[in-house]
Order: sequence, then structure tokens, then C-alpha cells
Amino acid sequence: MNCHEDIIEYMHDYLDEDITSEHQEILRNHLQTCSECREYFHEMKKAVALVQSTSHIKAPDDFTARVMAQLPKEKKQVGAKR
Amino acid sequence: MEALIKKRINQVLKGDQNAFGEIVELYKDKVFQLCFRMLGNRHEAEDLAQEAFVRAFVNIHSFKINMKFSTWLYRIATNLCIDRLRKKKPDYHLDAEVAGTEGLNMYSQIASDTLKPEEEVASLELQESIQEEITKLPEKYRSVIVLKYIEELSLKEISDILDLPVGTVKTRIHRGREALRKQLRHF
Repeated sequence: MNCHEDIIEYMHDYLDEDITSEHQEILRNHLQTCSECREYFHEMKKAVALVQSTSHIKAPDDFTARVMAQLPKEKKQVGAKR
Repeated sequence: MEALIKKRINQVLKGDQNAFGEIVELYKDKVFQLCFRMLGNRHEAEDLAQEAFVRAFVNIHSFKINMKFSTWLYRIATNLCIDRLRKKKPDYHLDAEVAGTEGLNMYSQIASDTLKPEEEVASLELQESIQEEITKLPEKYRSVIVLKYIEELSLKEISDILDLPVGTVKTRIHRGREALRKQLRHF
């Protein structure tokens, strides 16, 4: 895999949507001929898709009420001291 | 969105606590999710997400109005999670005495704490398995992966939240992605 280090770097750039058109062309051509890199690229995209597929979870229903109950009641304390 | 938030912040600064409740409503799911994906535990995530909002409220005067509020809020939450993760390890000093057990140390407790069959059954769920793999990532890769792929933030925003150069964020995303590729290839 060492000889393909540049290609792997291009894969990351591609996934970051930060790849030059020149590098993208090299990546595309290489993937057509190298099954090893094709597999590698597939695994990387699969990992990203799996992480993205973890469903978005919601905060518990009483979340806001519990935060509000924890806020310091600064104003009232100041008033009481006076 | 940002304009509405800034209006609410101004109300909070004038002493209107209810306006802060509206801010919590708008961001609670995002912040809870961030904490849960970082910590892998609902209870801890709830505690820290609430703590993040309380700290945001207490420090609201230090929020710079030209900044994006979500970036500031996520920074508070992410730092709390990172602190919690870093503190976890020293808790496991094997020779530390556990309060109230007089002379017993962690060695004698390990046997009963390690294998819990019900946990193995629960981890069969795909969602939970993926979360476990995320939790296995070292903290510095986990935070960038969670912010990028679960909170769907840009490299620039992640760099602002973690106070790291964009180049460092990029390198960590690459390493994190490599680790996940190896961990998730047989899923």
C-alpha cells in the first residue's frame, strides 16, 4: 500500500471536498486500474456513511426545565441582601 | 437564526431569564447529541449538556456578539466533554482505595465489574456498535469526527470550536477516518 500514499492523500482531500481537479483526475484514473485502492476507498466511504447513519438523538423532554432550574438566581439574591 | 439568537442574548443580558429558555430549546438536541457521541453514555451526556448551558448563561457577558453563537456554545460543550474524558483515566489507579471499603483496593473489585452479559446483548444493535467504535477513537480524533460527521460542521467552524489551526483539524480528521476505516470495514 505504501506506493499509493499519494492516492490515499487524494482520497482524503476528495472526502474533505478540498481536492484540485488535477488530483481528482489522477485519483479517478488510478481507481479504474487499481482494485486494492478501490477497496480502500470503498472502506473509507463506508466508514463515513456508517458514522453519519447514527440517527440523530433528541434531548430528554424535561431538559430545558432542568437547565432553567439550575440557573443562578442572581437578581433575587441581590435584592434580598438590600 | 443568528439574528434571533442575538436578540435573545440581549434580552438575557438585560436580566430576562426566560429568553435563555428559548435559546436552550433551539440548541438542546445538538448539544445533547454532541455530548452523547463524545461520551457514549446518556446520563453523563445529559449532565454535561445541562452544565454547558448553565456555563453559557453564567458567562453570557463574555460572548462576543460578532461571533457565531453556536460555535461558542459548542466550544463550551466540547471542552467539558474533553475534560471529562481526560479525568476518567486517573480515576482508575489500581492501587487507589475506594471510599468506605477500608483497605480494599481496585484489584479486588475488578473481577465483579468486568463482564456484564446484558451489556453484550445490547451491543448487538448496529447503532450502538457504531457508537462503540466512535467511543474507541482517541479523544483528539473523536472530537473532530463527531463535529464533522454528526454535527455536520465545516473545517473552519471545527477549527474555531477546538481553537486549532485548520491544518491540524484536517490531519486529525484524516487519522480519525483511517482508524474508523479499519474498525468498521467488517460491518
